[in-house]
Amino acid sequence: MTSLRAATCCAALMAGAAFSQPAAAQTSLTVAWYGGNWGEAFRTCVAEPFTKATGIKVVPEIGTSTVTLAKLQQQKGAPTIDVAWMDGGISELAQAAGVTGAIDPQAVPNLAKVSPEAVYKADGAVFAVGTGYYSLGLTYNTQKVKTPPTSWNDLWKPEFAGAVTIPSPANSSGVPFLLFLNKIWGNPANDLSKTFAKLKTLDTALYFDSSGAASNAYQSGEAIIGAHFSVGAWDLADKGLPIGFVVPKEGVWATDARLHLVKGTPRAAEAARFIDTALTPQAASCLAEKLYLGPSVQGVSVAPDIERKLPWGVGGSVKNLQLFNWADINRDRGAITDAWNRELARQ
Amino acid sequence: MTAALTGDPAVAPAAPPPTALRRALPLLAAPVAFFVAFFAVPMVVVLSSSLMAGGAPSLANYARVLLDQYHWDVLAVTFRIAALTTLAVTLLGYPLAYYLVRVVSSNALRRSCVILLLLPLFTSNIVRSFGWMILLGRNGLVNDTLVGVGLLERPVRFLGTETGIVIGLVYILLPFIVLAVGNALATVDPTLEEASADLGSSPFTTFWTVTFPLCLPGLIAGVIMVFTLAASAYVTPALLSGGKITVFPMLIFQQYSTVFDVHYGGALSITLLVFTLVLVALAGRIGNGGGNRS
Repeated sequence: MTSLRAATCCAALMAGAAFSQPAAAQTSLTVAWYGGNWGEAFRTCVAEPFTKATGIKVVPEIGTSTVTLAKLQQQKGAPTIDVAWMDGGISELAQAAGVTGAIDPQAVPNLAKVSPEAVYKADGAVFAVGTGYYSLGLTYNTQKVKTPPTSWNDLWKPEFAGAVTIPSPANSSGVPFLLFLNKIWGNPANDLSKTFAKLKTLDTALYFDSSGAASNAYQSGEAIIGAHFSVGAWDLADKGLPIGFVVPKEGVWATDARLHLVKGTPRAAEAARFIDTALTPQAASCLAEKLYLGPSVQGVSVAPDIERKLPWGVGGSVKNLQLFNWADINRDRGAITDAWNRELARQ
Repeated sequence: MTAALTGDPAVAPAAPPPTALRRALPLLAAPVAFFVAFFAVPMVVVLSSSLMAGGAPSLANYARVLLDQYHWDVLAVTFRIAALTTLAVTLLGYPLAYYLVRVVSSNALRRSCVILLLLPLFTSNIVRSFGWMILLGRNGLVNDTLVGVGLLERPVRFLGTETGIVIGLVYILLPFIVLAVGNALATVDPTLEEASADLGSSPFTTFWTVTFPLCLPGLIAGVIMVFTLAASAYVTPALLSGGKITVFPMLIFQQYSTVFDVHYGGALSITLLVFTLVLVALAGRIGNGGGNRS
């Protein structure tokens, strides 16, 4: 009987919460973003200025891009998330799943300042806008590696045997990195066999599944050279570890963190205002300062020490990044993952 | 003897009076609702998605899994790691449980030993596996020590090997077997062992003919628990394999998290579940056989 009463009590509480929601909704906006230093930066650079200007509270919904996409799919029709940050790749999947709404350039005047590469359109409507680029560059231990590497092929040098790390397909960068290598080696786009054969000869310490695992490997000295995200590598360097990050002569593969207006949100006007705040030069330079994200907003200037840490390296720009078509990558993802499992992830 | 009999669920009153049943129903409602919502429904979702291919009901996903030698190889690696882990955990955990229950006489000491044993369970699995990555690394504590004392000439590779994964899993799963065996040992009636000694058996014979068979059900329960947890473990193998060894749960994770093929992923999940259940059923059968013999 007691449990029944408790259940009734719970139901009443839940009903109460449901009724009180519309009242709260007028003064708050739910925004999905990532955890750790990413979330902190989004809060400082975008959410706080937005709240200051509008008085609208921002409620963060923390999760990785894939988790956010899963939530949006479950909430389809009655979303509780109004604005969502998702990475390139997942962004296209979200668009295909029909959870992204159109971003109206009239409601987001700052969209005009964004470089055209970072405005993503489908069927004539804008479904996502980039808020900053990050790349997967060559990362190395500055104590163990005396001469800074200049090429991806340096990973095969005998002195680095057993101490190299590159992403696995379980990481969002794994499949695109493989296609990137295939491209810079001049192998045919539809045949990865030569690239797999060459990777088989790479004596790795590990293939990393998560950015955290890569940071851990560089930190412990398990890996002294390899690939890592610009955000993660500079985070290690800023903590005083002997880590260097370079953009080799073949270039780097890069992607971006994008904002989406969730389809069917009852707070579309506020959501558009939030996106507009994220596209101000102040927000872009703040994100560059906190995460070394390469600004997608044109004409943003940053301090020289920040500038050298941007994803395109010293003196570069967004033109130096290799931004692949995610639709192609997503189409081949299953087959490439399967081939990787058979070729590299077994003894 | 009477106490033991009434304690046995098999001889407990078979049909409770209807009023008692009616009174128990609301109490059962919460666990049943929980079980249905968080176990049965997701399981049905996984099963039904595994039986769909290209929008129509089909067994194609299962054909893709079962007709491919690669999946059998991965299954073999997965169950080999689980079996080795279970063996190592048993060899370490049984004596430890025996020591805690039978040898340690001070209650305070026993309690602190159990707390020490359980303490790691309060830390996230991910953190503990990262810890092992640091300990087992090329420049980690284990290699440094072994090289330092002259046991090894140069560092051994643990990460990216089955040995490394087994070490990590043994550490995580040891408490489960110690608790299962310890509970069984604590309920063994000491007068039975005294009787065996009175009848002239050596301590060794007494252990093998009286004590061990009596706590075999506890051991089997622990073994099943450890084996299923080891076969389904994702975090520890994913981190300690360095992506160089693939176990079945990693294949499942890939499909759900990056490839987004829930049909193939579902078929992989159900395949692992069925094979694990078959092995557990076999283990249960061996356990029952042992129980009857005693």
